[in-house]
Amino acid sequence: MRGLFRNNFYATLLGAEAFTGIALLVGVFVVAMDNAIPSLIIGYMLLVMIGFSLNSIASIRKESATKWGKYKLTVPVRKRDIVISFFASQLLWLAVGIVFAGVGIALSIALHGNPFDRNTDIFMLFVLGIGISLFMGAIFFPLYFLGGEERNEVILVVSLLGGIGVIMGLTTLINIMYPGNMTTWQTVMSGIFMMACGAASFTVSVPLSVGVFQRKEY
Amino acid sequence: MENILELQNLSKSYPKSDFTLDQISFSLPYGSILGFVGENGAGKTTTIGCILNTIRKDSGTVKLFGKEMGDGDTDIREKIGVVYDGDNFPGFWTAGQLSKVMAGLFKNWDQALFQKYMEDFQLPVKQKIKHYSKGMTMKLAIAAALSHHPQLLILDEATSGLDPVMRDDMLDVFLEFVQEENHSILLSSHITSDLEKVADYITFIHKGRLILTAPKDDLVYRYAVMRCRESQFQAVDREDILAYRKRDTQIDVLVADGREAKRKYKDVVVDHTSVDEIMLLLAKGERV
Repeated sequence: MRGLFRNNFYATLLGAEAFTGIALLVGVFVVAMDNAIPSLIIGYMLLVMIGFSLNSIASIRKESATKWGKYKLTVPVRKRDIVISFFASQLLWLAVGIVFAGVGIALSIALHGNPFDRNTDIFMLFVLGIGISLFMGAIFFPLYFLGGEERNEVILVVSLLGGIGVIMGLTTLINIMYPGNMTTWQTVMSGIFMMACGAASFTVSVPLSVGVFQRKEY
Repeated sequence: MENILELQNLSKSYPKSDFTLDQISFSLPYGSILGFVGENGAGKTTTIGCILNTIRKDSGTVKLFGKEMGDGDTDIREKIGVVYDGDNFPGFWTAGQLSKVMAGLFKNWDQALFQKYMEDFQLPVKQKIKHYSKGMTMKLAIAAALSHHPQLLILDEATSGLDPVMRDDMLDVFLEFVQEENHSILLSSHITSDLEKVADYITFIHKGRLILTAPKDDLVYRYAVMRCRESQFQAVDREDILAYRKRDTQIDVLVADGREAKRKYKDVVVDHTSVDEIMLLLAKGERV
């Protein structure tokens, strides 16, 4: 697995370096700005969490430009491990995004105070970022292995929009269940429910993707 | 256990393209090089795909080191080195990064040996692979395939696209590799001159079917081509003819035993032949 992680890391590295630069520049700007209107910091948190994840899964496409995807099947790793390494890499890059988002909001609050009405709003922003990323990955991998490299771009767009759509759907469902102002407890439970749904779909997507990948021929 | 690789009645069909790999059987003994010959689209890469499990076979058996290799048999894949034609590795890597990835994939990855090949082949370690020439990428792939101490090398058109000098260098590397008696090479190529230099056995497939598998020396020293006129051709025993091809007024007849043909057909010119000519006669000629 060590070699697979290194492989995925190198595939993601160039994009991640560029995105890190952008995230740092935007982060400095967002932190420096007054956060009385919190839309900038909200946008920043979602951008870094989803952005690092998106870059990670988009990097798979690079393997199809050469015979490496086929070559990898001839080295001493199982197909299952190849697929799992992609999922694990996405989680690692999501964690990087979470760190960026956490540092960003922490610095913004330290400099300008808490811009949100309720502390649970920050928690819910993390739920949105993590949830969208997890659903995006859960949709992307089986479709990618099923649809092939040549449809990579459309699968990526469908996965991102799908992730956002599922989170919006869950939010609507929660709003229907709890009309009016939600208590802190209800908000936290709703967030945990959304994260659990994301984690469950991500987990279910692993064996599904493995199954599709094992039937694939190169 | 005599053979490092054994194929028995290997079949694979692609309904959408009408291509069928039909009952391919051959074996590769330890300590030898088998030249796997066929025109483009003959089924060489499909066969190799079935051997390496990158393609699912429809039927038949493929035994590597005496065992059928499944997805979980990583210990078998530790002993195999593979080189494909073209770009084997991502172009955005450097050779140094390739080495780090390989070290994490192969238990027996030998960094010192890889470094030695890089120096011998004069390949820059820090340069991105996409900036390598075609010859350099092939050398790198061969270096990577050899640096985990494999016993079996599977080379799919690994010398195509290289100039003759570079090809000769690579053939020397292959010959050195099989000096170890438990090492073998399956060398797929349509450059028959390479195979004549290094192969111990030649297996020829055409349109997905096995046409011939024989020791190379038999093909080069025993097989022959009779240059017949029409009347001479009519007098030739049908059972002596492996294949024949009409060329203007001459008919070239491939026979399995040149000496016997010279003795039997005294008025016919019998020439030594090459793997290339045998391949052409078998592929484009007619059978009796």
